[in-house]
Amino acid sequence: MRGLYIHLPFCVKKCSYCDFYSLPARLGSLESYVQAVVHESCRYAGLSFQTLYLGGGTPSLLGARNLRNLVGGIRKSLDLSNLVESTIEVNPESATSELLEAAKEAGINRVSIGVQSLSDYELQSVGRIHNAAQAIEAIKIARRIGFKSVSVDIIIGLPGQSWSTLRKALETLVGAGIEHISLYCLSLEEGTPLEKSPPEDLPTDDMQAQLFEQARSFLLGCGFAHYEISNFALKGCECLHNLNYWRGGEYVGLGPAAASHLYGRRFRNRADLDAYIERPDGITEDVEELNARDKASEEAMLRLRLLVEGLDVSELAARFGQDNIEPLISRLDHMAHDRLLVFDGLRYRLMPSRILTSNPIFAEVLCF
Amino acid sequence: MDSIRNFCIIAHIDHGKSTLADRILELTGVLHTTANAQVLDSMDLERERGITIKAKSVRMPYQSRSGEKYTLNLIDTPGHVDFSYEVSRSLKACEGAILLVDASQGVEAQTIANAYLAIDAGLEIIPVINKIDLPMAMIDECRLQLEDMLGLPTNGALLISAKNGTGVPDLLEAIVSRIPPPRGSPDEPLKCLIFDSYYDSYRGVIPHIRLFSGSLHCGDRIMIKSTSKVFEVDEVGYFLPQITPCNRLAAGEVGYVGATIRKAGDIHVGDTIISPDYVETPAILGFKHSQPMVFCGIYPINSNDYGKLTTALEKFQLNDSSIVYEKESSAALGHGYRLGFLGMLHMEIALERLKREYEQELISTMPSVIYKVVTTRGEALMIDNPSKFPPTHYIDHIEEPIIRARIIIPNDFVGACMELSESKRGTMVSMENPDTRRALLTYDLPLAEMTTGYYDKLKSVSRGYASMDYELAGYRSGDLVKVDILVKENQVDALSFVSVRDSAVPRGRALIHKLRKLIPRHLFEITLQAAIGGKIIAREDIVPVRKDVLAKCYGGDITRKRKLLEKQKEGKKRMKMVGSVEVPQEAFMLLLKMEE
Repeated sequence: MRGLYIHLPFCVKKCSYCDFYSLPARLGSLESYVQAVVHESCRYAGLSFQTLYLGGGTPSLLGARNLRNLVGGIRKSLDLSNLVESTIEVNPESATSELLEAAKEAGINRVSIGVQSLSDYELQSVGRIHNAAQAIEAIKIARRIGFKSVSVDIIIGLPGQSWSTLRKALETLVGAGIEHISLYCLSLEEGTPLEKSPPEDLPTDDMQAQLFEQARSFLLGCGFAHYEISNFALKGCECLHNLNYWRGGEYVGLGPAAASHLYGRRFRNRADLDAYIERPDGITEDVEELNARDKASEEAMLRLRLLVEGLDVSELAARFGQDNIEPLISRLDHMAHDRLLVFDGLRYRLMPSRILTSNPIFAEVLCF
Repeated sequence: MDSIRNFCIIAHIDHGKSTLADRILELTGVLHTTANAQVLDSMDLERERGITIKAKSVRMPYQSRSGEKYTLNLIDTPGHVDFSYEVSRSLKACEGAILLVDASQGVEAQTIANAYLAIDAGLEIIPVINKIDLPMAMIDECRLQLEDMLGLPTNGALLISAKNGTGVPDLLEAIVSRIPPPRGSPDEPLKCLIFDSYYDSYRGVIPHIRLFSGSLHCGDRIMIKSTSKVFEVDEVGYFLPQITPCNRLAAGEVGYVGATIRKAGDIHVGDTIISPDYVETPAILGFKHSQPMVFCGIYPINSNDYGKLTTALEKFQLNDSSIVYEKESSAALGHGYRLGFLGMLHMEIALERLKREYEQELISTMPSVIYKVVTTRGEALMIDNPSKFPPTHYIDHIEEPIIRARIIIPNDFVGACMELSESKRGTMVSMENPDTRRALLTYDLPLAEMTTGYYDKLKSVSRGYASMDYELAGYRSGDLVKVDILVKENQVDALSFVSVRDSAVPRGRALIHKLRKLIPRHLFEITLQAAIGGKIIAREDIVPVRKDVLAKCYGGDITRKRKLLEKQKEGKKRMKMVGSVEVPQEAFMLLLKMEE
């Protein structure tokens, strides 16, 4: 299993919480950017991919023509004939029929909509440039055009958010027939405007935890599975592209700030749009190659995020050798004994009560 | 030897000692520029705090007005109350002392204390009134104070401005005419005093010495009187102020001796060096032995650094012989040392030096005095660490050390000073008026109050004008209790403290409250309690953390997220474990800060 990620670092306006690599006011570079990505894809000529994910930034800013050129362009060098899932992230205000139809034609079968909230106050308070009505409209368009799966992102902990606004949003979304929800807790990332001057009505971590628990119960009641720490899906609608990350699979990231995991190495492109456009295959850095023992621990940490699937150490043993995972197994058993993990004889899983306090467990898995 | 003059400058802090030293060095040509001000204060810490901590010596050539050539040795002394031991050691190496008084301030508490030390040591004292250039200079008042408070004849007082040099040439003349030359003969058996030392990583321990009789050459064998250890001299010399080797040092001279002394424990400041051929030579006696009054525990932040801490302490003690230490271990903090200091400032400076100059990462615990705990069986136990107190039901009563403090303070602040001193359990012994605008208050106070910020508060209620000096005055029974701190039912030995019964509850509460804010939330609830004996006097709970999770963990974030977890874990390594609770190091220093 191998995934392809394409980063589109363009935004109309930066949201106040965002620390991803994305630049406002660079839409003029879109065309040359598409060419650069096509150029970079030649480095991986012949590689076959099963999933494709256009993320950002705001991929829906590409517009129909650039989107066609992009997907058409990379198809020339990469083997995309076995794609089972292709996702595009869209923002409500730019998820037009024209764009989504072009996406459908280009072979994209999954849409992830940056809804974030269905309260206009909450949206405005973090600088989102769309309102709730536009988000609902985007879901309708996506439904009408007939994508295999529609996903939405929801943020927990927005200023002024309460269980009543959150529940209303979830009810509306579930009612609109979405198959997948990502629930992200808002974090104050260093250097973001939100971190520098957090509003007074920003929910505390404790309130976030409370909201998350309530949302989780609600979604479980609606038939969603909590299959990964931040992700809920109806049966069979899990995001394959992301599952591949958590299963330690390979992926290639195209574009500045995009990361890859290939042939046992992790590396990323520098976050520099201009340098990238100039030399699309020349800004790779941060190459990291872990030894088998650390690699196994890292994968165990990732797989423990999969709350339903869990971690089967025999898979790790097959890949990394029994010797290299013995110390890991002893740590896992220790944590199972302390009731941080559940072990059913085959797989380890996070204790459900520890989902929101899993960092110490992961740190222990990684054994620093 | 008749041409040698060994002298020191004694003064209250900020009365201009270092400036005068600079001026003298310039006039004798040892120092050519004022750019490198305050040569004798070579430790960074000294310059930052504006106080001289370690005694050092400089040799200077001087030609008097009558044309005679002299060698002057200026031996620097520290100026703070905590360091009277070092002062007395330096005095022992001199025949005379310049008693410096700031004309705008007058005689202060440490002027008196230092003057008494010099009188006791039998030194010729030259009273000098400094800063006469200042518009607020009160020369006549200073003269009166010198006479009334110290009994020094005022006609002998010199008037100078160390800042602009006025009167300093006359002072140099007075040094050679009034201070007697050293006595003793180079032909008698060797006898010299180690009045300071430092550690050089290449040459080992370098003692600073004053020869009283005999002489020293390269190749001589010397014996340390107290340890009977014998070394061969490989270098002798003096300070200019830079280190300057010479052929020999003889009776009356001041300098250093290099003898490949590798182990810090082989010599102690205050020891006498003699010749192994004359082992009967008596030791030089008579200078006050340091008596540690304040104690605290120090522990390496990383327990693996215990060995390094041991080495650093050995070297440090060589440089500051008034520090005493012994091994100590704490359930919470692991292996460390209990250190004894002369006073609070000494403690602060010593800890800071250990951190800076000896690069030790340390946790220091709440300072304590030595309590006399009398048990129900009538035994008197001297205990410098509250966690070592016997169980409450074995304690008959507790006595605590009392100091006699002399405080000089402007009249306007007398009320505030009395209020403060009484709130700190002081009893007034006397009140005098050395001059029209100031009072000299004598108070008996528990030494423990010094560890909880008495001096700082005195400074603040008097807007910095009060000066203070103190000496130990015995023990007094007090209504004292030991307060223990429990974290999730585990007693934290390093947080136990002794308190007056009446304030035990508020102090216990305040500490628990601070701890609650400092200890990070854990995944479980943590109960914090303060207790006297078995009785809980304060309690707060730390609720469990509900969110500690990485969101958005996909794509290239994995490496970064892993590093984030690593950083989180790294932070925890710096915490100390109390049972299953991670307690930040700051917690162990809380008590001290809380009192400020």
